[in-house]
Amino acid sequence: MSDKTLEIRNLHARIVDGEAILKGVDLVVPRGEVHALMGPNGSGKSTLAKVIAGDPQYEITEGDILLEGQSILEMEPDERAREGLYLAFQYPVEVPGVSIANFLRLALNARREEGDEIGVMEFYQKLQRAVKELNWDESIIERNLHEGFSGGEKKRSEILQLLVLEPRYAILDETDSGLDVDALKVVSQGVNAARGPEFGALVITHYQRLLNYIVPDKVHVMVDGRVVRTGPKELAMELDQKGYEWIREAVGA
Amino acid sequence: MATLTDNVNVNEAAIAAISDRYDEPAWLRAEREAALRSYAAMPFPTEKTEEWRYTQLKRFDIAGLELAKAPKDESISERIRMRIADSDAEGVMVHKGNQVVLKQAQIKEQGVVFTDLRTAVREHEELVREHLYSVVNATQTKYTALNSALWENGTFVYVPKDVEVELPLGAFTTADSGGIGLGRTLIVVDVNARLTFLDEYTSEPFDERLFFDAATEIVLKDGAKLRYVSLQNWSRNVAHMNKLRAHLGRDARLESVTVSLGGDAARAEVESRLEGPGSESEMLGLYFADEGQHFNQFTLQHHATERGFSDVLFKGAVRDASSATYSGMIVVDPGAQKTDAYQTNRNLLLDQESEVVSIPQLEIAANDVKCSHGSTTGPVPEDQRFYLMSRGLKPEVAEHVLVTGFLHEVMSRVTLPKVAEYVERVVQAKLGVPGVKEKL
Repeated sequence: MSDKTLEIRNLHARIVDGEAILKGVDLVVPRGEVHALMGPNGSGKSTLAKVIAGDPQYEITEGDILLEGQSILEMEPDERAREGLYLAFQYPVEVPGVSIANFLRLALNARREEGDEIGVMEFYQKLQRAVKELNWDESIIERNLHEGFSGGEKKRSEILQLLVLEPRYAILDETDSGLDVDALKVVSQGVNAARGPEFGALVITHYQRLLNYIVPDKVHVMVDGRVVRTGPKELAMELDQKGYEWIREAVGA
Repeated sequence: MATLTDNVNVNEAAIAAISDRYDEPAWLRAEREAALRSYAAMPFPTEKTEEWRYTQLKRFDIAGLELAKAPKDESISERIRMRIADSDAEGVMVHKGNQVVLKQAQIKEQGVVFTDLRTAVREHEELVREHLYSVVNATQTKYTALNSALWENGTFVYVPKDVEVELPLGAFTTADSGGIGLGRTLIVVDVNARLTFLDEYTSEPFDERLFFDAATEIVLKDGAKLRYVSLQNWSRNVAHMNKLRAHLGRDARLESVTVSLGGDAARAEVESRLEGPGSESEMLGLYFADEGQHFNQFTLQHHATERGFSDVLFKGAVRDASSATYSGMIVVDPGAQKTDAYQTNRNLLLDQESEVVSIPQLEIAANDVKCSHGSTTGPVPEDQRFYLMSRGLKPEVAEHVLVTGFLHEVMSRVTLPKVAEYVERVVQAKLGVPGVKEKL
């Protein structure tokens, strides 16, 4: 597999000079599909998300990450983003003094040639569409990036950015955690709006609840640093009913 | 360790020359002579004295410099013209060398005096005599003594009781030749009056070295309110020494911001003495040292009486083997109960070759007070950098965003949007943000 996929191949990674967390992850997300990644706490789901995005806290000891056939291991986080990868953070950081609008304009222009910066009208239309999709008030774009945001607002901001930046592949790291049902619906609506033949996503979640709203094409289950099972969306229900112990026992982990 | 030596041009003959040239009243000449005696009696600072310990004194050396003369060229630079146009000021003045090269004011409010200090001595002698040297004088430092003895011109503002000056007034100080420049601003805001004042220092680069010694005296009578901006953006051949001190009467309020961006080295001493109960002093500061610049800031919040409020926020960044120091002092006198005093200094250290020293201090002699101080110095937070890069921003762009965002907290509290915008533009230019010009 190479064309139009995000492929994780036998990936081993650890915190720099720390203990191994990923112990041979294999996973393929084709463009046009949304996959769920589930697993118990500490199984390495969030580490995988951050490693794909290029978080310098982690080092890869073995394996590869291929974006449409091309290894991205040597790429800096910003290059990966410009190549079309997007990570919706589990804990989005606050960046004081920078408005969401200015930040997103910089992010969009980073993807364009110098001298070909996005026009003011085009930019605001894009931004307004995304804000509307998330049932948000337009004033949000003038607020500083996550400064004073509630947990739910931060998650919504991650999806807003996804809609504006239009990545080819997105990894959503527990975007549902800390959301009430209404917020969950709004955020899911945003993700579903991004779905299409040119968009692939890996939705990391602990609970089946989110998958009622974002229906996955496939479900992967991660235990102890490895993907131990892959199946249809019904696998998520089964997990929900039987618990992760069932999977541990089933795979002998 | 640097040892500073005296300057042969600072002497009685220099005072006589100035006093004679302007036919000064006897009291002023006597003040100058007394100031010169204080100056002579005071040793030059050394890095052994606590207040100057982290100051690279050699960069403020005056040995061998002559006192500033008339400018080579009286024209006003494009930069200053643009700054004037951008300031929305009701009145502006431009000082160049020892001359006033522009003075224009159409002040609609009654009784306001806005003129150069030289003219004020002639036309408003009693007002000047009452307040000049009452706040910044020869007893304080070697450099306030030097200024008190030999200032040649400056800016004078008086706002009468109950008058609110709606638009800002401003003084722009510039130069086109080296030596010792001496600037003095005297602001008197009478009972319940209001004023916004902008003091800006800037120049196009020139060959010789200029040492500029600025004294800013602020008198706020009961209920007076002043917004004051000091914006230092000299060319890199200038060393800037500034004492900015205010005395606040009952229920008076000062909002000041001191910005250091230009020059080779700059020291800003920003001081408030809260003399009247219920007075309030907000002192903001911003500095960004690059390409080897050395910036020193000192703040003093002196609560001499009860129920005062003071808040200091100084933020700065350093890079390219530059250095910055902050030292702050809160003094609460024994009778100053119900004082609220806060002091915060935060620094971004953008590379390992640069250096920051931060020393917050308290001296509290009253028991019913709220005081706090805090200081942090560190690099750009890695999690913020990673976050921005994960959205595609190149590392240098991420750094621009994080530095400007960090400093924005100060400018967001300045209620003069055009000043805030200008400062942010200069910061961006120093950072090398594409498309932003302002660099000196």
